[in-house]
Amino acid sequence: MYTLTKVTLSFITILFLILPTQLNAQQSDFEIIQDFRTGYSELLNKVENAVSTEDLTEIREEISSFEAQFESHASLINGAIYPDTFDGLLQGLESSFNTTNSNISVIEQLNSRVDVLVNEMDLFRNRISDMNQEMVTLEERIAQSSANESRQAALIRQYRLNIDQRDVFVSDFLEELVERYQNMDSSARSEISDASERLQDNPIEILKTILAEYVQLANSEISLDLSDYVSMRAQHGYFSGVWDRIGTRLAETFEPEGPVVAEQEVDDLLSAWQAAIDNNLWETLATSFSENDIELEPFSSSTEFNTALNSYVDSSYETSLESNREEDYQKFLNFNSFWNNTVKADWGELLTAGNVLTYSEISAIDIKLNNWGEASSPTSNLMFILLIVSIAVIVGLVVLLVTKKS
Amino acid sequence: MNKQRLLYMVFSLAILLSVSACGSSLILENVDYSQPIESVLVPDSEQIVHDQRYAVKFSISPILVEENLTEIDEIRMIRNSAGFYFVTASGFNNVYVFTPGESTLELVEKVFITENGLSQPAFNQRETYIELIDRNTGESFNLNY
Repeated sequence: MYTLTKVTLSFITILFLILPTQLNAQQSDFEIIQDFRTGYSELLNKVENAVSTEDLTEIREEISSFEAQFESHASLINGAIYPDTFDGLLQGLESSFNTTNSNISVIEQLNSRVDVLVNEMDLFRNRISDMNQEMVTLEERIAQSSANESRQAALIRQYRLNIDQRDVFVSDFLEELVERYQNMDSSARSEISDASERLQDNPIEILKTILAEYVQLANSEISLDLSDYVSMRAQHGYFSGVWDRIGTRLAETFEPEGPVVAEQEVDDLLSAWQAAIDNNLWETLATSFSENDIELEPFSSSTEFNTALNSYVDSSYETSLESNREEDYQKFLNFNSFWNNTVKADWGELLTAGNVLTYSEISAIDIKLNNWGEASSPTSNLMFILLIVSIAVIVGLVVLLVTKKS
Repeated sequence: MNKQRLLYMVFSLAILLSVSACGSSLILENVDYSQPIESVLVPDSEQIVHDQRYAVKFSISPILVEENLTEIDEIRMIRNSAGFYFVTASGFNNVYVFTPGESTLELVEKVFITENGLSQPAFNQRETYIELIDRNTGESFNLNY
């Protein structure tokens, strides 16, 4: 410092010059740097906040213009922003631009996927809504046509057809959900989750709506056949299976803030649906057996139904073994016919699909039925008569022989 | 004896001069002190300005007295390649040229610019001089020192 002072003093004699000049547009280097910093920050913000490729196209032009504007001041800027550099900051800007560009590409792909999802949900909601309207109309017409049995029967057939169509439609929807979400990786689900707020009705809401309508349908006062309820139970079994496979993923994707609650709500609706089906199913099933002169013990579950069937066959088999009466044989024929021609032939697939009976339970009844058939078949008296006749002939011959001798 | 004593004194003097000469013989030349861009500094309530980047801190009160001002919003300061500080501000009539001393800035020159006071002054570092501009009037002054 002392050296500098000495040097300064040695310069004191140097002429100090003031050369005023007049220029129209004087620019401060400080202002140039400020403009550069402000422009750079604005561009960086724009890049970070860009939401579309159109935005990025505009920003690209602005970056080029910015670079051209300050390129001639690169040296000044380098001195002012040391240790940063003009080129370094522009490279940083370029890097942010590329990152945002990449993110926007992903977002736009995601948006198009969500758009597809939105359209599908709209279509689905509209179709279900149409079906509901058709069902309501049919229910009204069925109620009005109570005086005309044939007309009512035709309407009920139409009603059943609508239920089948709904089941097929819902099954297709569920299959699509399985296909889409079962093997989806967590990052893709996370991206969809982020965009799911755009969905008016996300898949979970749709599923809840479907289930609520199924519960209402199962509680409908329209008198349906056993096959209808067994069919509903099969649909319930399919629905539950799908939900078990993808429910957790769907809940985490579309209800990320409360997946457990969302899952529980669907579980509750599934339980309510099953209860509504079962109320009608067990009653209709008991009535069907009863109408065919088969009086089973009361049952209100699959296990109890299986127990009641086994109990009926076992006790009938015991009775046949003991008495072997014609009426026991008729009882066997009646059960055998109903079991094979109606229960197995008409309802067999639905009963297994609906978890009412398993194949092994049906087989077990078949085996017992064979035993019962053998036990109840009337025993033939021919041999007994032939024995009596033979004895009578022998006795007759003996008497004849004795008589001749005497 | 006197001769020996004289010889001893001459010898001691030679050693002393040699040692003292060693202390001031190391001079680094062509040192460039220039700031690429001026510093715009806002004084605190005690009229102290602190340039964090170039690590210099001082009171501007004596300068304000010189300019008959009680306060200003900001001062502008730049250092040329020789190491002189140039200081001015909006409302100043002069540019003050300082040289750094031991914990001091010593005024080297008070350069009169205008009677009306500078309106929007700014310093630019140029190759061989400091450029003073008034962005309001468009006037430009080249300060060679």
